[in-house]
Amino acid sequence: MKRKTTILKITTIAPAIALLTFLAPAFAVPLEATDPAAPAAVTENAPAKTTEWRQWGRTPERNMVGFADNLPETFEPGEIQDDESVDLSTTENVLWVTKLGSQTYGNPTIADGRIYIGTNNQGRNDPRFPGDYGVVTCIDAATGKKHWELTIPKLGSGKVGDWEFLGVCSSPAVFGDRVYVITNRCEVIALDVNGMADGNQGLQDEGQYMSYKGITPQPPVDVKPTDADIIWRYDMRLELGIYPHNITSSSVLVVGDYIYASTSNGVTYNHKGIPSPKAPSMVVLDRKAAEKEGATADDILVGEEASGLSKKILHCNWTSPTYGEVDGKPILIFGGPDGVTYAFDPKPVPDEEGFGVLTQLWSLDCNPKEYRFRDGDPEKPIKYATAPGPSEIISTPVFHDGRVYVAIGQDPEHGEGVGCFTCIDAKTGKKLWEYRINRTISTPSIADGLAYIADYSGFLYCLDAEDGTLYWKYDTVAPIWGSTLVADGKVYLGNEDGLLTVMHTAATRKLADELGAPVEIEYRRGKLTAIGSKEEREISGEAVHEYFNEVDFGHAVYLSPIVANDTLYVGTMTHLFATREGAEPVGMQKKSGGAGSTGSESAGER
Amino acid sequence: MRTLLSILLRTLGACVSLAVIACVSTPTSAENSEALHGWLQWRGPDQNGTSAETNLPDTWEIGGENHLWDIELQGRGTPLIAEGRVYSWGYRGELFDLREVLVCLDENTGEVIWEREFPDFLSETIYNRYSIGSPVIDAETRSIYLNASSGEIYCLSLDGEVRWVHSMQEEFGRNTYPNGRIGAPTIEGDLVVFRGVTNNWGAHGPPRDRLYAFDKRTGESIWVATPGQGPPFLKDSCFATPVYDWWDGRRVLYTGLGSGAIVCVNAWTGETLWRSQQIIGGINSSVLLHDGKLIAVHGRQNLDTTETGRMLALKLPSSKRLEQAESLPLDIGKKDEVWRLPISMFTSSPVLVDDRLYQVDHTGELHCVDVTKGVELWTKKLGPQQIHASPLYADGKLYVPLNEGEFWILRPSDEGAEELAFLELEGNALGTPAAWNGKVYVHTTKRLYCFGSKDGNADNLPPVRKPVAYGKPGKAAALQVVPTEVLLRPGESVPMKVYAIDGNGQRIGPVAAPVVWDGVPGPGGKPTLTASVKASGALAVPADAKPSVGVGRATVGEVTGTFRGRVVPSYPYEEDFESFELKATNPVDGVSFAHPPSFWIMGRVKWEVRERDGSKVLAKTTDNLIHHRVMTFIGHPEDSGYEVLADVMTDGNRRGAGEVGVINQRYIIKLLGNHDLLEVSSNIERYRATVPFEVKAKQWYRMRTRVDVADDGSGVIRAKVWKRGDDEPSDWMIEAEHPTAHPHGSFGVFGLSPQPSQRVYIDNIEVREAPAMKGSGS
Repeated sequence: MKRKTTILKITTIAPAIALLTFLAPAFAVPLEATDPAAPAAVTENAPAKTTEWRQWGRTPERNMVGFADNLPETFEPGEIQDDESVDLSTTENVLWVTKLGSQTYGNPTIADGRIYIGTNNQGRNDPRFPGDYGVVTCIDAATGKKHWELTIPKLGSGKVGDWEFLGVCSSPAVFGDRVYVITNRCEVIALDVNGMADGNQGLQDEGQYMSYKGITPQPPVDVKPTDADIIWRYDMRLELGIYPHNITSSSVLVVGDYIYASTSNGVTYNHKGIPSPKAPSMVVLDRKAAEKEGATADDILVGEEASGLSKKILHCNWTSPTYGEVDGKPILIFGGPDGVTYAFDPKPVPDEEGFGVLTQLWSLDCNPKEYRFRDGDPEKPIKYATAPGPSEIISTPVFHDGRVYVAIGQDPEHGEGVGCFTCIDAKTGKKLWEYRINRTISTPSIADGLAYIADYSGFLYCLDAEDGTLYWKYDTVAPIWGSTLVADGKVYLGNEDGLLTVMHTAATRKLADELGAPVEIEYRRGKLTAIGSKEEREISGEAVHEYFNEVDFGHAVYLSPIVANDTLYVGTMTHLFATREGAEPVGMQKKSGGAGSTGSESAGER
Repeated sequence: MRTLLSILLRTLGACVSLAVIACVSTPTSAENSEALHGWLQWRGPDQNGTSAETNLPDTWEIGGENHLWDIELQGRGTPLIAEGRVYSWGYRGELFDLREVLVCLDENTGEVIWEREFPDFLSETIYNRYSIGSPVIDAETRSIYLNASSGEIYCLSLDGEVRWVHSMQEEFGRNTYPNGRIGAPTIEGDLVVFRGVTNNWGAHGPPRDRLYAFDKRTGESIWVATPGQGPPFLKDSCFATPVYDWWDGRRVLYTGLGSGAIVCVNAWTGETLWRSQQIIGGINSSVLLHDGKLIAVHGRQNLDTTETGRMLALKLPSSKRLEQAESLPLDIGKKDEVWRLPISMFTSSPVLVDDRLYQVDHTGELHCVDVTKGVELWTKKLGPQQIHASPLYADGKLYVPLNEGEFWILRPSDEGAEELAFLELEGNALGTPAAWNGKVYVHTTKRLYCFGSKDGNADNLPPVRKPVAYGKPGKAAALQVVPTEVLLRPGESVPMKVYAIDGNGQRIGPVAAPVVWDGVPGPGGKPTLTASVKASGALAVPADAKPSVGVGRATVGEVTGTFRGRVVPSYPYEEDFESFELKATNPVDGVSFAHPPSFWIMGRVKWEVRERDGSKVLAKTTDNLIHHRVMTFIGHPEDSGYEVLADVMTDGNRRGAGEVGVINQRYIIKLLGNHDLLEVSSNIERYRATVPFEVKAKQWYRMRTRVDVADDGSGVIRAKVWKRGDDEPSDWMIEAEHPTAHPHGSFGVFGLSPQPSQRVYIDNIEVREAPAMKGSGS
């Protein structure tokens, strides 16, 4: 089927759920010496070249690249049985499969043998929690069994601020013995990696917290050893006046003692105004101060963006902050809700009233002028959410080698539209190059001089990271929400049709040279068709796999694949798969009653 | 592009009184002529997305073969065709100039014959999601019915004259939503049925997805059905098109709801007969009937698994089960399920050809299902995604538009689908194609396309459908009072009609015997409606009556019937809340409060009368975030020429404050605490004007507003605000001009409080006749 490559159609509608997801940052584990505030603390529990994936984007630079060997070229996800468990005997290269809720947008992270993932409450069958909740699940990386779960009541604001069933859209960040995650209630929350199993530390009112109906407290629920242990929480909605739009969705950045968090402040329920223009789009919290006895919200908040970003929100503020160093100086990168990329000094300084604020270093509009104004004429603004109009930044900017790679996009509910992938000099804020793609919420991967980025329209692009030259483009023919993962010479990417694309980076790069870049690649009915500027080639049979493999999950793959310890983790809305080349399944999955997990330790409660 | 004709018609339209419930002209003159023949409803005469016409095009090209014409006209629904004319419900313009339009076109040329505009007001529609619900034509009365995004529902002649209109927002508390999903009206016998999620008063106060049946000739309200549950099941507005059939001696309708159930409702009375709760969230696709079972598809959270979306078949219950039921509705559950398939779709509807079903899912995959066996025969990926558009089956072919404007013509068989044609249309395709007289039509968000032959296709048209014959009714079992929902002001009256209906709800005829009228006791044990039925048979409200709501009852011998009445104030109207007794206690903060007046709609749980600053005032509730915004109607939609004064205040801090103001003639005039603005709007994408005004938290302000409309339809919305207790400034702070002003509308109040720290307050409301303006020219 013929498809437009530069699109321009608007989708209007949509009942779908808005979502955002992948934007979410996770947090940072410290690159060496990246912490301006407390260098010693930064390296805490964080190997310099970790093979784990402790936060959204693996490192504070957020580059979606992992270190691994012998990752599977392909695997067989197996058959889902009536009880919604996967029959492991029908899988191939699968270590384990864990059942999640019904919608899973909180991208997994892995640290110290445990996986953390945000999902929802469906299928959990815990009688304490009937109905819809956000859930953060801690899973054993070796077995897929659940250690503990955080249960978060919905705000009760419906689609306005905590959309039904979206669960927790934030990717947890693991730092020492703490897990930091942003909840569906617009809170930054710190958890004990051990859950309640080692007793209740920090905040003691988990039973009350989990009982809320909307914003009304109910009698506390019983707390169990398989519940999460909340250390502290910071309610951005109440403390900062945030108006989360549709859902709270972003992942924190941790650098030293500081946590940087996007607030998800957004437009009104009907997209017709900004109810909280005076609330910040990003805040800085002191995670150490938060653990001091008697710490108040004012003690925890140490800084905020004061560039007036909330006055310019196009829709919402779902991106995640990024950290890097330029000539030894730290820099905080933020994809603005107005489609502008901002750089800040990460260290807050007091303003005239004594409130800590972030000093802006530079900003660059990542929307080409013709996206904002018809014919570039400021008198003719182009309406937001129309296909040719401007977009915000939902994708996470990537810092790599002194440059920032950032793409604009919108809530998938707004459909397809024009986008742009921009490379910025991190020191000066000057644009180095841009390449026009369609709207995206995917975060790019920069590796071996190549930049990979996917867009919501379903295309995967491979560009020269130096100058933005397009080498090849692959059409997955379905919307893409997740991000690329580059690891072990392959790029992995899921789409809404439930297909996980696996492209070989070296072979496809070579193909571009052979056929003449740019090359357009499609895969239909077992044939790979590559159309270059000089030559066309049709590749079929086994030869296809020199370039390409495809894994069919049968259900949308919205999550971004991650890799840790030579294991690839891929999630659908309902299941998390751990895959490893030649893996034997852990135990043979027993058929459990209901929609239980792979033999969860707490299955009896579910 | 607006034609001169359309401007003339718009002007003409402005002169016609769009009286609520008023019957401007009764379509009796056309009734005895031959019934209309054409494509009269978007799902077709079999209600399943198929046409029996043959000899339709197999292929076409833009600018080439079979491309008859196309015109620039944005639209998201399905055109109707009758007697050589195409009736297209679309919209023109982009910003403040945007209007929904009903356009009548020549079928062979696409030339505009007439066009009528329908301005939006106060709706939540965004991103130009207009004209989604397709109109319907009634062959018998030669009327066209449509549901505008403002919530106004219209009956028009085929020449575009208004026969009757209701303002569903102001009369029935119909909510509007950013998604713009509006259901197509449907015709059953003498009724036309509309739907929407409403917050009216009393039993109709809590939000539910309701169906409203009106007499198709007069616009009188016949019944209101509340077939579904509320939150947490009610999560979506719903635009499912009901399907009608016989069941156990009754005409019934089947439909999915915004609350995730599939229901069967008696189409004569609105009584819900059975309900099958499938999901949490909305079922928007039309259902299908096949051989004693109902087939539905949805795209939301299932209750029994963690899968999202499903297609299923339910066995229709036997009449015996109904007889044995202790109460209605019957609960139809999993044991009644015949089969299920993992096909997910939120809004696009399936088509049924014999026992083969075709459904495009949200990922753009076409599924072919054997509905007898409940098995999928094949799938075919057509494009990246699908949203609203549904396929049309005709002449052995499937005409399939996709969201991004792709259009396929396919010839399906049990083995797969042969590709006959593919093209890309300009704009997004959200509407379903229509086929009539050798032509196929499809709307996009840019254009209306017509493909086929100019020669017509008279020999291959399906036969004229005869109206469904109802048979002889049984014995009288109840009374049906018409209108069943009444809205009146003091001094007004409306003739009441009483019909006898049999046990199935079928109308027997008008009651000849004397009717005894009384009021049904309200919560206080006494009838509450300040209106009574006179000897003339008219329900009359004394000129000095207080506003009220209540239920009235007609009794003849052993049988009864009821109606609901709402008496709203005319101006002058004053409310300082001091007479309220604060008897209730808020469960969250323990503060005493009283509910707002019973005749106010859309605000009962969103406002509380509380003590503040030594006075009783109206306070926005803040204990439920989904109620954080409120637009409450107090008056009558026909009101005009008044001014509204009120004291307003917001709580707040350096992080935020609320928004508070009044509604005057379909404009919201409010203070924006976080923006330091005084704003006039009516769906801010359609009309908005602001002036700076520093809003201090916890400071009472007095606000005065008025709307002056000139003879040419233009108007000025004026407002001023000052600190309560200070002298009123002599000059208006905002005088916002609106070239196409709203000529009338209910007065009301507005509040937005996202957090307890941003609670807003209103006090000392006064509505009075606007004094003459010096030199205003109005």
